[in-house]
Amino acid sequence: MIARWFRGALLLAVLTTVCVPAFAQVDFTGEWAPRFYEDQPERVPGPELGDYLGLPVTEAARMRADTWDASIQTLPEWQCRPHSADYIWRGPSNLHIWKEVDPVSRQITAFHAEWLRSIDNIYYLDGRPHPSANAPHTWGGFATAKWDGDILTVTVTHLKEGYVRRNGVPRSDLATVTEHWMRHGNWLTVMTIVNDPVYLSEPFVRSTDYQLDEHQLVPPYPCDVVEEVERSRGVVPNLLPGTNPSLNDFAAHHNLPIEATRGGPETMYPEYRNKLATMPKAGKK
Amino acid sequence: MKVRLILLIISATALMSGIQLYAHHSFAATYFEDKQQTIEGDLSQFLFRNPPSFVHVFGKDEKGQPVTWGVVWGDGGQLGRQGVTRQPLKPGAHVIMVGNPGRNPDDHRLRMLRLKRTSAGYTWGGRPGETFD
Repeated sequence: MIARWFRGALLLAVLTTVCVPAFAQVDFTGEWAPRFYEDQPERVPGPELGDYLGLPVTEAARMRADTWDASIQTLPEWQCRPHSADYIWRGPSNLHIWKEVDPVSRQITAFHAEWLRSIDNIYYLDGRPHPSANAPHTWGGFATAKWDGDILTVTVTHLKEGYVRRNGVPRSDLATVTEHWMRHGNWLTVMTIVNDPVYLSEPFVRSTDYQLDEHQLVPPYPCDVVEEVERSRGVVPNLLPGTNPSLNDFAAHHNLPIEATRGGPETMYPEYRNKLATMPKAGKK
Repeated sequence: MKVRLILLIISATALMSGIQLYAHHSFAATYFEDKQQTIEGDLSQFLFRNPPSFVHVFGKDEKGQPVTWGVVWGDGGQLGRQGVTRQPLKPGAHVIMVGNPGRNPDDHRLRMLRLKRTSAGYTWGGRPGETFD
């Protein structure tokens, strides 16, 4: 009788253990469509020149952005350059996420995220360390992740130099990125926090939303390098300091104070609106 | 009023529906979106590809000097879905194009808004859906 009771209890215990889902693992796999409820003009058609508003940029970043010429993107080296791992979340592309599962433990060992125009970004969950600081830097960087309850927290290092806004505002290769992935039903919210000792004076925080879309399929994106415009060999488009004629256009188009469009950490915070109200405007163009 | 409402609905639907968007470079940072320029000349090549397609045209600059214009168009996939093919745009075709001029005058570049091949009446731009992101 006792033996029968014991066998029953054991079977129940085994079944219970088997049926319990792995601890704190949320499945992020699927096809995710970006939702442009925030910053659509910047994210889809693209930002205007001289718009550094809301960016905690340093003086070095302003210098780089002020001397940036969009024509540089016609160079062969630039034509097929993908968005970096930190920018791509905020970009205009659809997202596909899939996972790797350990065949024995059934634990998720990695997520992969790939957007149109991005590389395959891998987020390792197997506890591996980040490589030496001297290891190669890539567009996707080196990303590890850990569970924080239902939130996946990602750390990205080893990024090639990129940009935080597509108007020349740079992000250095010394930057690190922390991401928090949060799933609420069919919605995915990802918060990215960029720390850059060269071009940002404070952490740059953004959150971006995606919605599950089962009808979506990220298509292939073969990219060909061609001669987009004719120019002499060796010419690299650029603007010398103080010669960019378009820097004040953004302020003029939107009747904003020029000082505000230069960005800086102060311009990130809501109370800056009070200061804005007292500042002289550029005059509407 | 009715037309505006329809355009508004189409724009909102495109914005919310998660269709493939191909923006990569910022148009505002690259072109004078508030200006238009017309060029005319003979098509030298149509680079129907990703990232954006380019049409090269032997034409003239503002001073009448011969130049090759590089006119940016949509990504191959996006234009393909609009029915654009290589067939009507072969080298030698005489074309008139209207676009936003590039900010760097040395590039002799335009962002395509409208295209007309003078023979056989092929046109692009101006009809609903004939735009690119």
